Amino acid sequence: MPENNATEFDAIVVGSGISGGWAAKELTERGLRVLVLERGKNIEHGKDYIGEHANSWNLDYYGMPDRELIASDYPIQSDSYALMATNLQYWNNDRLNPYLQTEGKPFSWKRADVVGGRSLLWGRQTYRWSDADFKANARDGIQIPWPLDYKEIEPWYSYVEEFAGISGQEEGLEHLPDSKFLPPMEYYELEKTIKKRVEKKLDNVKITMGRCAVLTREHKGRAPCHYCGPCHNGCSTGSYFSSQSSTLPAARATGNLTLLPNQLVSKLVHNDAGDKIVAVNTIDTVSKEQRSFSAKLIFLCASTVASTQILLNSASSSHPNGLANASGALGKYVMDHGMIGHMGMFVDHPDMYFKGNRPNGLYIPRFRNIGRQDEDADFIRGYGYQAHCLRPDWQTSFNQRGFGAKLKESLGKPGSFWIWAMGGFFECLPYESNQIRLHPQKTDRFGVPLVVTEFDWGDNERKIAADTATQAEKILRAAGSLYHILSKPEQMSVGGAGIHEMGTARMGDDPGKSVLNKYNQAHEVSNLFVTDGSFMTSASCVNPSLTYMAFTARAVDYAVKQLNEGQI
Amino acid sequence: MNRREFLQCAALLTAGSGVVPDTWALTLEQQTYLGARGSYLDRVTLTLFSGEQRAMVAAMSELTIPRTDTPGAIDAGVPQFIEAMVSAWFNDEERANFMKGLAELDRRANGYLRQDADQQLALLEALEDEASDAEWFRMGNTMRIWDSNAPFICQFKELTILGFMLSETGARQFLTPNPMGAFDGSVSLQPEQRTYSTQTPMRSVSPPISAAEDL
Repeated sequence: MPENNATEFDAIVVGSGISGGWAAKELTERGLRVLVLERGKNIEHGKDYIGEHANSWNLDYYGMPDRELIASDYPIQSDSYALMATNLQYWNNDRLNPYLQTEGKPFSWKRADVVGGRSLLWGRQTYRWSDADFKANARDGIQIPWPLDYKEIEPWYSYVEEFAGISGQEEGLEHLPDSKFLPPMEYYELEKTIKKRVEKKLDNVKITMGRCAVLTREHKGRAPCHYCGPCHNGCSTGSYFSSQSSTLPAARATGNLTLLPNQLVSKLVHNDAGDKIVAVNTIDTVSKEQRSFSAKLIFLCASTVASTQILLNSASSSHPNGLANASGALGKYVMDHGMIGHMGMFVDHPDMYFKGNRPNGLYIPRFRNIGRQDEDADFIRGYGYQAHCLRPDWQTSFNQRGFGAKLKESLGKPGSFWIWAMGGFFECLPYESNQIRLHPQKTDRFGVPLVVTEFDWGDNERKIAADTATQAEKILRAAGSLYHILSKPEQMSVGGAGIHEMGTARMGDDPGKSVLNKYNQAHEVSNLFVTDGSFMTSASCVNPSLTYMAFTARAVDYAVKQLNEGQI
Repeated sequence: MNRREFLQCAALLTAGSGVVPDTWALTLEQQTYLGARGSYLDRVTLTLFSGEQRAMVAAMSELTIPRTDTPGAIDAGVPQFIEAMVSAWFNDEERANFMKGLAELDRRANGYLRQDADQQLALLEALEDEASDAEWFRMGNTMRIWDSNAPFICQFKELTILGFMLSETGARQFLTPNPMGAFDGSVSLQPEQRTYSTQTPMRSVSPPISAAEDL
């Protein structure tokens, strides 16, 4: 048993990433005294972004990745595009904090290990769900329906967007509702040409500027983007939304925030009746000290896999299958977005270049199965493309022949063509067999049972992946690509690599089939709210973080009202 | 270029390739941190090469990237970078291959440093010709951390180019700093314009995600 040094707070938030940061902000601004428990180490906004704008010649090995360290400590994290020599300190150490994968069913669990969590490392793409997304399960008879529709969440999208700052272009599409936008970013010349050609030739395909949580003008005291490029090193001007730049400072400003780093939450302890959390047990990851905290409200925002681990590890005699898991749904129905890449080479505009690095691409909103099932589609749901423009340079052509002044000059010139890469991001259906479990015996260095993952794509995902190539070829042809490379379905990402893992504590009206109600409140535990990706009942095909923000803000609003009315 | 490399290119693009402006103001703390840290080459102690090997590597690197109207490999500290990488970053097999290659070249030249520049260059070209079937030359074999099967001459060239382009001298006096502050995607490329310098090498740390397929 942990020592009884409990401290009284009004609310405890587990995790300080996108969801946890929002929970902290909304709770503290409503006057609650909030304790945020973060597993990762503390870093300070700006000051600790040690890789930001670092020059290559100042970095060890000029920034070439330390292969031994990557192999020993970051074998899982290192297949993310965002992991660099300049931001290793933000990532989970896979050697110290391992999990177990099921053979033949890989699942890549990307974790941060700092205050701010993955909000420091995210891709910043922000898209609203549509009403069709919330109705998809009901319409298709897949698993369980969502307990709410777009209308209910719409004002909360607006609310979080107004604070976070989302740049993008209004398009008036019903299946991809516009956000409250700051001005969109500028196009590359090639992108303008591609957009014009594609929209003229393909009626159903729309190309728009990526919608992203990167500022294009000053917003709430945060500076507009200065286009240095690699956001995931950290941004001391706060030009992209992160807990560090946005929600945690707002929470701190209320005077109601206490944030403790290095606190791994091992277990939630409930009362005798089993319907309320009375304690949150933690282990200090540095001193190994065990503590216990209590509060009236508990917001679990530790990320899908970690929150599931905590709930499963909180099993008791009255919750034998894991806390709030009478339905048996906890840990099941893991989803992620599948990713698959296609690309084309363009010889248009060889005489054009660019200034600045735009941390954003173009977006091709879903155009398959809109409103009705397409006759030529052998799958349900759909996908969008995120597309990026690259002018090759010496980094992609250094392996050429020759020596001397000619080689030197050749290496110094931009390549003679452009590459336009289309990343298909597709919806994944919820399958009961895709699961997060606890290992019955094996534990980590703190004695917490290890997570075991089991994940595989289904037929629908493989068919969607194939269709992304078929349609990408049409688009690349229309765009004027001289040569394209299309991926085969088996080349799609492994589960988890999309870093959009979700669905293990889904919401629904039926407590027999879901863990949470439509306010992210556990059916069985009135003061427990789960607002990270675990609550997702289906996946849509758009990046989910904006939706987590909106649901978190809405859940806090509901929870505090319930608390004030004596319902919790 | 194979698909995986193309895809990795795309993945890296998601984040932008990271170019450092000369005049970008760092926060005070960052200036302190980076200033205290200094250049990588100032922090390393070089003990691997003999004096003769150092002179040989210096001559070879200058032949590969010579001083023209802009600085060359020696000006940019490339020989020191090569020694640092071979001793601290290469694995045992790669290091053994490099040292063996260097020794063989010297033997074959009957004393590399005793030859004149034209003969030294011809020897490098001969090595490259003999390695013509190496995977290293395959188009697009660039989006990986390192090609561990690279023959000596390819190891040497890659280190030379990295050591030059990523050095302060190469980045500032040969390549062009990317002007920051705004994004403009419609800028005319000037005839003599060079590419932008890069903050961290655009190399994926990813293991292969699928079987390589040639273009």
